[in-house]
Amino acid sequence: MQDSAFLGMSDRLRILRQSRFGAFAPVLFALAAIWGYFGLALPLWDYLTTPEAQNLRLIFLSPRNIYNLFMQSAVIATLAVGITVVLLLGDIDLSAAATAGVCAALLGVLVLAGLPGWAACVIVIAVGAVMGAAQGMLIAYVGIPSFVVTLAGLLGFQGLMQKILPTGNLNIDDPFLRGISRILVPDMLGLAIAALIVAGMIALSLRRQHRRREAGLEQDSPIAVWGQIAMVATLLFGAVLTLNAYRSVPLLILLLVAITAALGWVTTSTPFGRSIFAVGGNAESARRVGMNVRRIRVAAFAIVGIMAAVGGIFGASRYGSVSYTAFAGGSLLLESIGAAVIGGTSLFGGRGSVWNAILGALVIGSLGNGLDLSGASAADKLMFSGAILLLAVALDAVSRPAGQGR
Amino acid sequence: MMTASTTTAGHQAPPTAPPTGAGDRAHLRVSGIHKHFGGVHALRGVDFEVARGEVMALVGDNGAGKSTLMKVLAGAHVADAGTFHLDGQQVHVGGPKDAAALGIQIVYQDLALCENLDVAANLSLGAEPVRPGFGFLPRLLRPIDDLRMEVKAKRAIDQLQVRTLKSVRAQVGGLSGGQRQAIAIARAVGADSSVVMLDEPTAALGVAQTRQVLNVVKRLRETGHAVIYISHNMRDIFEVSDRICVLRHGANVATWRTQDTTPDEIVVAMTRGLEKEVGRAG
Repeated sequence: MQDSAFLGMSDRLRILRQSRFGAFAPVLFALAAIWGYFGLALPLWDYLTTPEAQNLRLIFLSPRNIYNLFMQSAVIATLAVGITVVLLLGDIDLSAAATAGVCAALLGVLVLAGLPGWAACVIVIAVGAVMGAAQGMLIAYVGIPSFVVTLAGLLGFQGLMQKILPTGNLNIDDPFLRGISRILVPDMLGLAIAALIVAGMIALSLRRQHRRREAGLEQDSPIAVWGQIAMVATLLFGAVLTLNAYRSVPLLILLLVAITAALGWVTTSTPFGRSIFAVGGNAESARRVGMNVRRIRVAAFAIVGIMAAVGGIFGASRYGSVSYTAFAGGSLLLESIGAAVIGGTSLFGGRGSVWNAILGALVIGSLGNGLDLSGASAADKLMFSGAILLLAVALDAVSRPAGQGR
Repeated sequence: MMTASTTTAGHQAPPTAPPTGAGDRAHLRVSGIHKHFGGVHALRGVDFEVARGEVMALVGDNGAGKSTLMKVLAGAHVADAGTFHLDGQQVHVGGPKDAAALGIQIVYQDLALCENLDVAANLSLGAEPVRPGFGFLPRLLRPIDDLRMEVKAKRAIDQLQVRTLKSVRAQVGGLSGGQRQAIAIARAVGADSSVVMLDEPTAALGVAQTRQVLNVVKRLRETGHAVIYISHNMRDIFEVSDRICVLRHGANVATWRTQDTTPDEIVVAMTRGLEKEVGRAG
């Protein structure tokens, strides 16, 4: 269809990004580059330049640090996964972190009032869904741009959180809530789950190939299929073994992966998910084939609200407290939007994946963690994050299909 | 009514009398269509018909009422007066859903494809087949049967003989204009439609792409669809159409069999109407 002899760099990039699997490539590359720099290059430089150094100190790549890195990135990742869903529509949610803050504060107050942890979680998730859906209705039915509605939400919810938490801080010691981040999945169980996932993937791929052959459809190239499985297996076992080497896989990470898998399935494999992509790609087209664009928009914002509430629960569990600066007042919002965008989800709608948001969150988390370890100042951290975000968006703009929004 | 009688005369007795009674095998026939937009009388008693296995060109100068008539047929506008007959049965079109249920589909000039989705997804958009056995989930959350979707897409593409399209899994954003037009047509045809309206399908296309689309249109005729072809391009019209219906100032001028007329005659009819007819009616 296209003459490959005349492909420019940006065309190649675009084709890479459009392939199902190639969308992962840039964010994985960024992650590898950051880990290589902080994990290998910096320690090696230290070792070679400081005469009194006894041996190579690979702090960044130590299992302990990787464990912390995963935990630090988990809240960002939860929000980024939610934000990805509205980015797919071509909208944005600036209020996610403030929603998470309100939900976390409410969680603290409810638990303090004597409600069992699980009941508080259910209530808080429902509240998050309502907060998201309410904003979605203003966007879909009143027609206010999502940027404005959620900016108002950001301000309003920040205030609401301060109202709920007049002291600005609340400790959480409910065993159920603390358990989410404290409970560790036993080493063997973690490995068994990883093995099960890989085996499931292989079985599904084989069955799919078989069914395609029966239906007389073109076959996927075996290299792509097995390459994909090999990569997922490597990442999965690598992560589980590394976490096991320090402690074990935390329940929090398992929950995050499970929720992301569910949302990933909904967005890619159901008519609802397809309609999200359709609205993001061409809203007029979606409307003409009879999709209820407004309802889809409200549902997507409800999903962000739910993910924000879950992020609030995860955060409260991990920090053991709820504070204004950890959620609404801090850098959480920009980090999670950054994570979604670095993951390769287009701000113009219609392209992206929730899995990439997790990788994007790891990029952001690694950057912060690595700069902390190498003693960089907060100013350096901000500037580095800005540069990485800009790079990611530039990559998105260059790899956008020609003729769209140019 | 003067205009109405003029159009009726023009419709039944074109300058050269129709050798076959195309009228009695009409698949879709509308008559006496009136449409007002505020003070503007956009359609003044238009008659129009199209038969299965026929390409009916609809031409007219800008503002002649082509688009309005097309939107009335598609249910996007509701006519103020007039009757619809499908295979001789009187039917009612009160909205796009009615038209779609009667098998009337329209391919708008902007195509309305999702460039971020692949061909198969675009062809099934809004009506994705779902796998059986997930009845406990709401329909929107059941897994899409993407294999069935691909098979369906392949069949639709094969039916139109779009040979340049290599895979139904190609993203629409990477396809040529002609391929996109073909996919938009395939989507309209795939929805069990019998009447397909094409709005300026070759307006933005180059020579090779135009050829591709005209082949698809001919293919639609072979498969027994009633095709309404709106265009300004006389060469395309004379290549692909069986009959040509000319509108002017919201009313019929006349309908010709393509083989019995010339582009010059059509252009004159579009711009000046039929002096003789007007004279006779007046």
